[in-house]
Amino acid sequence: MPYTSEHDEIPNPLRAGLRAESIPEPCAVVIFGATGDLAHRKLVPALYNLAVTGHLPAAFGIVGMAKSELAQHDFVRGMRESVGKFSRTKPIDGEIWADFANGMRYVSGSFDDPNAFARLRAALEELDKSRGTRGNRLFYFATPPSAFPTLLKQLKGAGLINPPNDSRFTRVVIEKPFGHDLASGRALNRLVLETCDERQVFRIDHYLGKETVQNLLVFRFANSIFEPIWNRRFVDHVQITACEDLGVEGRARYYEEAGILRDMIQNHVLQLLCLTSMEPPVAFDADAVREEKTKVLRAVEAFETPEQVARNVVLGQYTAGSIGGKDVPGYHEEKDVAPGSRTPTFVGLRLSVRSWRWDGVPFYLRSGKRMPKRATEIAVHFQPLPHSLFGEGATQPNELVIRVQPEEGIALRFSAKVPGERYRPRTVSMDFRYGSTFGAVAPEAYERLLLDAMRGDQTLFTRRDEVEAAWKIADSILKVAESPESPPPNPYRAGTWGPPEADQLLAQDGRAWRRL
Amino acid sequence: MEAVVSENFGEPISAGAAPRTGDSGELVLRFDSGFDLGRIERLLQETRERGGRAPESVCTLNLIAVYFNEQQYEKARAALEMAGTIHPSRLIVMIGDAPVEQESLTVRASVVRSGGAITLERLVLSATGRAVRHLESAMTNLLRPDLPRVVVFGGRPHGDLMKRAVEMADRIVIDSGARPPGYLAETASLLAKGAPIGDLAWARIFPWQALAADTLDLPNLREHRGNIRKARVACAGAVGAEGLLLLGWLQSRIKRLEIQIQAEGEPEPEDTGTATPRAAPMGLGQVKLLELTAPPATFTLRRDKGILYADVKGDDDGYCANRVRLPADTPGRLLALELNLLYGVDELYAQAAQAAARLLPQVPR
Repeated sequence: MPYTSEHDEIPNPLRAGLRAESIPEPCAVVIFGATGDLAHRKLVPALYNLAVTGHLPAAFGIVGMAKSELAQHDFVRGMRESVGKFSRTKPIDGEIWADFANGMRYVSGSFDDPNAFARLRAALEELDKSRGTRGNRLFYFATPPSAFPTLLKQLKGAGLINPPNDSRFTRVVIEKPFGHDLASGRALNRLVLETCDERQVFRIDHYLGKETVQNLLVFRFANSIFEPIWNRRFVDHVQITACEDLGVEGRARYYEEAGILRDMIQNHVLQLLCLTSMEPPVAFDADAVREEKTKVLRAVEAFETPEQVARNVVLGQYTAGSIGGKDVPGYHEEKDVAPGSRTPTFVGLRLSVRSWRWDGVPFYLRSGKRMPKRATEIAVHFQPLPHSLFGEGATQPNELVIRVQPEEGIALRFSAKVPGERYRPRTVSMDFRYGSTFGAVAPEAYERLLLDAMRGDQTLFTRRDEVEAAWKIADSILKVAESPESPPPNPYRAGTWGPPEADQLLAQDGRAWRRL
Repeated sequence: MEAVVSENFGEPISAGAAPRTGDSGELVLRFDSGFDLGRIERLLQETRERGGRAPESVCTLNLIAVYFNEQQYEKARAALEMAGTIHPSRLIVMIGDAPVEQESLTVRASVVRSGGAITLERLVLSATGRAVRHLESAMTNLLRPDLPRVVVFGGRPHGDLMKRAVEMADRIVIDSGARPPGYLAETASLLAKGAPIGDLAWARIFPWQALAADTLDLPNLREHRGNIRKARVACAGAVGAEGLLLLGWLQSRIKRLEIQIQAEGEPEPEDTGTATPRAAPMGLGQVKLLELTAPPATFTLRRDKGILYADVKGDDDGYCANRVRLPADTPGRLLALELNLLYGVDELYAQAAQAAARLLPQVPR
């Protein structure tokens, strides 16, 4: 029964109104970099949990590929250990694991060796026969970006990339960073799209797999009370924070190249900005949602001069300090950090979204390593009262805080009367906690994203033009920040909320960062 | 065969392999004549504060369950707890055992703690004899305001008590699979009047629906979408409500569909426990096969233990297009699925149940 696209027009009579979740087609997931951290800590545990929750097709297989010489059973044993350690469901279910492990294969070889890809092809064909994976492939690039061009070339050379309309799907999942700057981001996109169609490319940003990030869409577009006030008439400013208490944790080689702007701002933080400020999409599908996000990125005013960057951006780098009662080293003392490194580990910046909805509303973004605690949140600060009936300064403007992690939830801060005879207002918080309001355990971000990729749903993956628009914003800062003439990042003690200059950035607007 | 299925008549939604997390025990009060609601509220508060200051209590709905004896409730207890914890609830169980002559009124209060909060507040109101008349008014007063009200029951409505409970519900969850299929006619007539009924039997066929729809979405099989002429369903041991609902659904989606339903083989034996909840063994009357004929192709969805297979046969020798592992459809999980919809009518179910009721004359006896 060959595939012809004319039949796509015949509607599926059984699809309308179904409450049942669809299960992906049979497929094999190929993980390049299968011996790495990402595969062990996130990808395979996520796939195992999808098997536990009944979301995987029974006709499923995994092929790991990496340079390390490993026997098949050693690869499977290593994965079992990792799943035992990192899976959110414990203990490992012997029966489910046995079936899951039966579909695991390992191919060792260098990515630039065509013979290794011939072996990969043979392993996939064997899975098609033994597990019924039916020629459907999801290639996951869990490798450094430098390997992407070779992988794409080899996959094409081995005839492993089917055309987008083929009845057997081929999809490629690419981990960030999607390039190093705008030029390399564009070059990577060109390269990827020489081999695949955009419909086959899944650029993963694991923040979008988080339940609370997805909840932002529901919160904004499934409630009628917030949308009328979600604009410049009612919102004074927005603060987006993505901080962690960890340092570079043995990833200094990567971090020296990336820094906070590439590691956090270009992707995660700008994605949060998009979801906070986008217009309602015309439909909840991949094209419509990504179109609106891209419009936001296009509306963000990129910096054109070093003066603009100096006025709106504060970079920092941590020095030795104390976090949680323990001494921690400064960035320069971390292993593999170059002497005199100017890599920023903190950024605070002010962005403007030039649109009818947001013009004049500053968006303050901050992200850093070695902060006092891990916290990611979006805080919408509403306009102050035009006139206070209860005395100057007696009330604080309303705030709506969307906590992404930890203690995922939403809090609305408003004034209430302190009990007693006088009218004394006090700011109180109405708190919704995601974890305790819903008893169901939320899936890990990678579970959701892998499942979507297997189903072919690109809504939570970034599109080519979206990535490039985000690079344009990051690039306008990077060009200045990385020029030899620019000053080094401002030092801040580990365990503090960044350099004092970051506070001044808001203070000059008469505002302050939220205390977390 | 119907006589065999009928043994299940009136059974409540039964217990599944539900975890019981952090149940802090029950406090009990007995009354001589009429409930004292103030004391019940204080009893609940006392239960919440056991072991220290009461943590935050979250509730997204009022879950009301009605039973006619203690054993029915005990069978359903784990399922209610599981569903009520996934959808944090105030669960009010009414057990009205009217045939017992002696009047008695008892209240048991307990909570389930999860993730630093109380996710289930449970009040079990038991009455015997004429005291049964107090149950409904007590329940009404104990509901949390402004939250949806979902009534769960497995048997047929008994008198005024059930009638009123149903009338004030935003949703009513039944299990057609635990009744003789003939009762689908009664359900269909209630649905026709707009009754917001949910059905565990319907939730049980979700995987069949998903696999059938997914198979017709496979690129090389899309050409058959407009050509489905016949549907055949086989149920294990006896024709049950699930098979009829599946056919009813197909008939409501596909015009001029020839249908056939039959009993085939036996149900599967009971399973032993495993670390992860499994798909329950195929019970009496449950679906074991669905065949769709779309000439020249035939799609056969069949259940073998915990796996659903989608086989496709055309001009060729045929092949397995997909196979999926069935989820652990414990009653608690199925009830939780039904509680995803808290208001209104599930139109697809209403259409399917009404079509299924029209098929009843064709059910082999």
